[in-house]
Amino acid sequence: MFATKALRASAAHAERTPMIKFLGKRTIPASVDHTPHAHPASPSHELPVDFKSADKPTSPTFSSYRQHAQQHGPLGRAKTGGVGEASGHSLGSVSPTRGEYFDRNELPARFRRTPLEMAEIDAIETGGATLVC
Amino acid sequence: MFRSLVVPRAAARSAFKQNSLPKVVTPSAIARLSKRSYATEAEEKDLVIIGGGVAGYVAAIKAAQEGLKVTCIEKRGTLGGTCLNVGCIPSKALLNNSHLYHQILHDTKNRGIEVGDVKLNLAQLMKSKDTAVTGLTKGVEFLFKKNNVEYIKGEASFASEHEIQVNLNEGGERTVAGKNIIIATGSEATPFPGLEVDEKRIITSTGALALEKIPESMVVVGGGIIGLEMGSVWSRLGTKVTVVEFLGQIGGPGMDTEVSKAAQKVLKKQGIDFKLSTKVLGGDTSGDKIKLDVEAAKGGKKETLDADVVLVAIGRRPYTAGLGLEKIGLDTDERGRLVIDSEYRTKLPHIRVIGDCTFGPMLAHKAEEEAVAAVEYIKKGYGHVNYGAIPSVMYTHPEVAWVGQNEQEVKASGVKYKIGSFPFSANSRAKTNLDTEGFVKIITDAETDRILGVHIIGPGAGEMIAEGTLAIEYGASSEDIGRTSHAHPTLSEAFKEAAMSCYSSAIHF
Repeated sequence: MFATKALRASAAHAERTPMIKFLGKRTIPASVDHTPHAHPASPSHELPVDFKSADKPTSPTFSSYRQHAQQHGPLGRAKTGGVGEASGHSLGSVSPTRGEYFDRNELPARFRRTPLEMAEIDAIETGGATLVC
Repeated sequence: MFRSLVVPRAAARSAFKQNSLPKVVTPSAIARLSKRSYATEAEEKDLVIIGGGVAGYVAAIKAAQEGLKVTCIEKRGTLGGTCLNVGCIPSKALLNNSHLYHQILHDTKNRGIEVGDVKLNLAQLMKSKDTAVTGLTKGVEFLFKKNNVEYIKGEASFASEHEIQVNLNEGGERTVAGKNIIIATGSEATPFPGLEVDEKRIITSTGALALEKIPESMVVVGGGIIGLEMGSVWSRLGTKVTVVEFLGQIGGPGMDTEVSKAAQKVLKKQGIDFKLSTKVLGGDTSGDKIKLDVEAAKGGKKETLDADVVLVAIGRRPYTAGLGLEKIGLDTDERGRLVIDSEYRTKLPHIRVIGDCTFGPMLAHKAEEEAVAAVEYIKKGYGHVNYGAIPSVMYTHPEVAWVGQNEQEVKASGVKYKIGSFPFSANSRAKTNLDTEGFVKIITDAETDRILGVHIIGPGAGEMIAEGTLAIEYGASSEDIGRTSHAHPTLSEAFKEAAMSCYSSAIHF
């Protein structure tokens, strides 16, 4: 082992140096530049103009996104006057006034009655016989 | 069973008739409906991935391993995307088994093996392909469970920048919210104008994997990797295959011209006809045979080709339909690719795109690399994909594989280069295998000896290219390879000797 080492050392000038070098264990870079750069496989090698304006994202974090997100009302509870803040009882009755009606057909389509098809009507009226005869 | 369903409905109908119109619904009923029927409140995930193909499922598993809460949405009903379901995997099953069949028919006598009556059972051939596919797709589903990845079967579309609405395959809908979102919706076969795909007579690669009988004749429009692989399968099973290619060489962009010519020669010997520099004008499917009008790409004599089946294999295009990109202001480029930066971010930085639906070659292994890198960018802030070291493989026989630059590209770049090559006909293992067609070609920088490109046509090229890819990734010289011991007798010795011939001389040639 040592003999080989000594021989190699003495012949160092004659030995070739491999291009592959062991660089050590991979480490996390101390600082990484995260500003948008063109993707290496991008055919144009440049980013569209609107990417540059994306330096300041509209929703930098999920929590800040939730501040303004809406789904059937705000996602987060507003401090005052938000949906769900007051109890239903305190909001008073939601019954229609006299002469006023809620129609199922005013609801979104998925809450309306499923339209009956002729085949179903026939099946109902014959107790299912049309399906098997 | 039926009656129990019918009676309440009948009762309801009779009750309906008795009621006076207008029909009213009380507010309390509305409240009940609201409570029961609105889509469930959006669930918050660290990462939501749209697409369960190679890019999507690898990203999902990697992210889960990194400790993120992950949801993966896939509408196909099985995981693995094009690759596992209708791409790489089923095609390799057919290529392998059709090669065995072809070899038994034509290459046994000289090996001292006498075979009796050989019959092809196409249904069983397809079944064995399906078994491979099912095993792998179910395997990915198992990996999802193992890594606690939530898997939603449904079609996703953006409701907002952070919310995705899913139309569930089983019915109903659901909304999922993600701090980060990865779009990995893949690609689809590019249609050919004038040839309407029915997947029976005019087929894409998907149809070519599931033909119910062996066609007498097939015209393959497009001489790229997909066309040549599927053409090889059906040619081996007995179909007369003609490949029509617009360009002057087969193999598509990237394949070295010398290798392309060699591949064409071998495939021609196997019975495949080629019409290069030829364009398809249109087709007529009204008769028993499809009539395909073609002419020289630069104009010239017209010709009509007859075929039972026409395989359209002119390439693939990104698939982003139904995602609702317009709702969040994301655009695609002129080729339908989502525009991203070097960290896979769109202009909405929490939305990243990987795989076939963005830049780069449409290859499963490239998508896998991007999946890991994109998750690492999210979790650690850095990732790594070397687009100069992505291998390409054509799984014909012999296989063709390459990585890095080809000779025409190096020449165009103006860099002084050297070429070392070694034929398999001089390789001992290839000789013993009676499988000696092809060669290894290595291109190096004339000044530094650094390997710029590796091109292989020959047995096991797809496996051997890994050594070339590693060499390019590490910036190796041809001498680094040439001075590395390769086991004897192996096909990989051809690789070593090609490297030796770059900086010195091969021993056995």
